[in-house]
Amino acid sequence: MPRQLSYANAILEATDQAMSLSSDVILLGQLVDTKAGIFGTTTGLVDKYGLERVQDFPVSENLMTATAMGASLAGLRPVIVHQRLDFMIYSLDAIVNWLSLWRFKSNGKSAMPVTIRTIVGKGWGQGPQHSKSLHSWFAHLPGLQVAMPSTAYDAKGLLLESIFGETPSIFVEGRGLYSMTDFVPEKPYRVRFGRAKVRKVGSDVTIVALGAMVPLALKAAAILERDGIQAEVIDPRTISPLDRPTINGSVYKTKRLVVADPAWRSFGAGSEIITSVVEAIGGRLVANPVRVTLPDSHTPMSSALEREYYPDETDLVNAVTLLMKQ
Amino acid sequence: MTSMELSHRTITRMGLYRDLKIEGHDKDLLLALLRQMLRLRTTEVALVNEYHPADEMRCPIHFCIGQEAVPAALSMLVQREDLLFSHHRSHGYYFAKGAPMGELFAEIYGKETGANGGRAGSQDISNSEYGFYSGAILAGAVSIAVGAAFAFKHQHSARISISGFGEGATDEGAFWEAMNYAGKQQLPILFVIENNRYATFSDQLKRQASDNICERVTPFGVRATRIFGNDVVKVYDTLNTEIEALRQGRGPALVEAYTYRWNSHVGPEDDGVNNYRPMEEMAFWKDNCPIKLLETKLREAGYWTDRMRSLTDDEIRTEIEEHFRFAKQSPFPKNIDWQQANMAGSTPMADALLTETEGDVFDPDQAEARLGPY
Repeated sequence: MPRQLSYANAILEATDQAMSLSSDVILLGQLVDTKAGIFGTTTGLVDKYGLERVQDFPVSENLMTATAMGASLAGLRPVIVHQRLDFMIYSLDAIVNWLSLWRFKSNGKSAMPVTIRTIVGKGWGQGPQHSKSLHSWFAHLPGLQVAMPSTAYDAKGLLLESIFGETPSIFVEGRGLYSMTDFVPEKPYRVRFGRAKVRKVGSDVTIVALGAMVPLALKAAAILERDGIQAEVIDPRTISPLDRPTINGSVYKTKRLVVADPAWRSFGAGSEIITSVVEAIGGRLVANPVRVTLPDSHTPMSSALEREYYPDETDLVNAVTLLMKQ
Repeated sequence: MTSMELSHRTITRMGLYRDLKIEGHDKDLLLALLRQMLRLRTTEVALVNEYHPADEMRCPIHFCIGQEAVPAALSMLVQREDLLFSHHRSHGYYFAKGAPMGELFAEIYGKETGANGGRAGSQDISNSEYGFYSGAILAGAVSIAVGAAFAFKHQHSARISISGFGEGATDEGAFWEAMNYAGKQQLPILFVIENNRYATFSDQLKRQASDNICERVTPFGVRATRIFGNDVVKVYDTLNTEIEALRQGRGPALVEAYTYRWNSHVGPEDDGVNNYRPMEEMAFWKDNCPIKLLETKLREAGYWTDRMRSLTDDEIRTEIEEHFRFAKQSPFPKNIDWQQANMAGSTPMADALLTETEGDVFDPDQAEARLGPY
């Protein structure tokens, strides 16, 4: 059996290998130097690379981002980690007003190769300040790459690609995916930005699923298959750049589109994907496209409400079934 | 008055400044400081004269007339490999890093030959070949400068980071995050505050409970000095001492230089209609013009004559005219590839270090992670 690693361990291995490949790679974040190590994704790195390269940081999220940015101008390849995406919002000035436009406003003469890891909580009462997935905010900005790995394999390859790439990257991790395992090669390999993966081939309907929605989409596709519906599941893996040709090609074939986005419904990545398909090949569609998302509401704490709030594979199956009847 | 009593409230009481001391300083250095200030002043005046009604420079310019001393002193002290991060009133710092005048003018004219091909303009200009960056969102640049200093310390380098900004930036939380971290880590960074009293039209004491920035940063572990910022020799000596200390690993340092902008906040027009600063205050600062203060001393010492001034003015004017011609004759940018302008077109380091592979065989039949109580 090929070597299996969890999503969390794949992130740890990618960081470890990046730090071993280049002494310019440094890791900053609150508690990255502890045994708990950001849910196991940084555990042990401080023993191997020392406090100079694996540094705890004050609870100054904006400064942490800016520190990584300034350090990259001096030749370092910083990786920073936010325990929850919600804390990262303090650094919006650094990201929006400086990082995203640095290359543009220098006319390509200066770059900030910074990787920002950020974790989206889900479940056990994470509530409205520990669970927001704002990937569409960052994808809206020119000049940033946004990765949403759904598997351990992609987590490792995309993290290495982010660290050694030249465009700043926002690396959005689904906390719910952390325990899921996958085949992960030992060597340091790359998964390129802007290249979607067709995770299941099908001919009746295209499900484009992002990040944490990918395993659900695959489960839904298996259920649908038993009902005689062949769903094609596409995992864009990165939403900026977005692999529009692969998505369009699939919808051209299936003529039906469902987008599963682990975020709020309105003005999100799901809306962008549908628009992009409709602009390109809207005439091919035989049914109105459908979004499966979180409701336009903040996250509740109560586990009873969490079950209502987060869509599962049954919601996806129902959405596809309804769409097939249009 | 002792340095810790110095503030914009007290400074105008002193009348004509008489403490500028040139004794013990090399004549060539003093002449170079004067020449650097004259070049900056003359350039800014030339830009003001060309700005309207021609309207060929179509971007906001925050002129630094009256604030020449700090950038002139820095120009003698920074090395090419140091990184300097400036606020939006950027031209003085641009020259302090030795970046070319032609690329500055062409940038302001929005031309392809500009330092940033006309993408940035005056308030966002950078010239990475010369280690110069700027931006308009105040303490954001201060924070990035901390990052450069972090890297220099990490690399055990003698390079230093310089962050130039106004007292307005100290209203922002990002500034205090920077003080905390730079002080805690003892980073090789020089913070230079050009305190010109007003954030646009707003007096520092309308925005802050007290105007003692130096006292407030000291407990963070940031060595702080406040000085009369129009005494270019004092500014030079203070910055020299601090930069020497930084290069020997004794950082960080903050220097607050009290100075004054003669123009409006942005553009050359008079913004007196907002009635935010008294005429007497402007008169004080014009009487204590940094160029005039040094020039007077140099004349008294016999280092400087009318003829030298006139030759220097001619030289500078010739340089400025040449670069105006260059800027005006340069082509505008066109046909930008918007994708390429924002994202890197290649990944050389990833190409060198990472391999291609295939084989993701993800099994979706797995439960999501069960989060613990925390």
